[in-house]
Amino acid sequence: MKIESMIYVVFARIEAGDSVKHVGELKARTDRLAKLYACTTYDEENWNYLSIVKQKDLLEVHDGKLEPSELPSIEQGENA
Amino acid sequence: MTAWPDGAVEYVQAVADTKLVLGQRNAQWALAGPSLEDNIGSASTAQDEFGHVRQLNRLLANQGRSEDWLAGNRQPTEFNNAASLDDVTDGWTTYIGSAAPTDRAAWYLLDAINHEDFGGMIDKIGEDEYFHLSYHDAMLETLATDEPETLQYVLEETLPDVLAFIGPAIYDSKTDPLYQAGFTVQPITALRESFRDHYRSLFNGTSVSVKEVDWEVPTANTWDAYRRRMDSGSVSSALVEQLSGARNEGFVE
Repeated sequence: MKIESMIYVVFARIEAGDSVKHVGELKARTDRLAKLYACTTYDEENWNYLSIVKQKDLLEVHDGKLEPSELPSIEQGENA
Repeated sequence: MTAWPDGAVEYVQAVADTKLVLGQRNAQWALAGPSLEDNIGSASTAQDEFGHVRQLNRLLANQGRSEDWLAGNRQPTEFNNAASLDDVTDGWTTYIGSAAPTDRAAWYLLDAINHEDFGGMIDKIGEDEYFHLSYHDAMLETLATDEPETLQYVLEETLPDVLAFIGPAIYDSKTDPLYQAGFTVQPITALRESFRDHYRSLFNGTSVSVKEVDWEVPTANTWDAYRRRMDSGSVSSALVEQLSGARNEGFVE
């Protein structure tokens, strides 16, 4: 059974203290291959930090705000 | 620069020639791999291998090898590359199943060297090989799921040739001449054991098994110590022509 490719989003930082930036995407069938692809595909800089995450695991925050359903309810108390 | 012990030049020559052909095979796949990321990885790996060859050829020239000969001006049967790389044309699984164990074997042979001429070169090559070998293992794991039967077949065909490249099973700490001479710090038997154990572990739990591989080859009778192989084969004349760059001479001023 063939392992399907997944999209991974790539983040990197050049120097410690810089912002971590989104530098691109790649496709890979396993996490191990994805990490190696990131090293060879995005080797244009001597990165201080390089990371990847599956695109499906990115949690989008819509317009920079939480969805109304994610806000705590007054009836449940502030700790809900 | 001191003369190396008997057999050491042939040992390093075989590693250099294997890396040269490995680089060429990697380059052949740089536009034909299953994904863009694999293509980029193949091109990067090819570049690394050619850099390693350049460094090793410098040392070989200091030991008396002709630079013109080292650059590729020789017959196919004068290339002492691992036989596993002679013909790698059947597809991605064949390429990975041949190149991956060969690259690992070449690294083991280099890593075993302990001679002042090599300085920090082997450490630097090791930094590159860390990525090569990690990628190869990751791809072998994937292929063990995608194409277990094809990979099994390729490994049973290829691994005996790679074992011949490493050296014969009789070369232990008492009989390995380069270990006895102090040129290497591990006898061939130790390298073979590490190599076998690595692939047994890698494929443990997958549908691919290396149990059926003939792990005893080569014997003393079947081993060509000069070319580090069991047969009289070679890369093709067409590949040698590519390696020599003869067709591109008109573009060089």
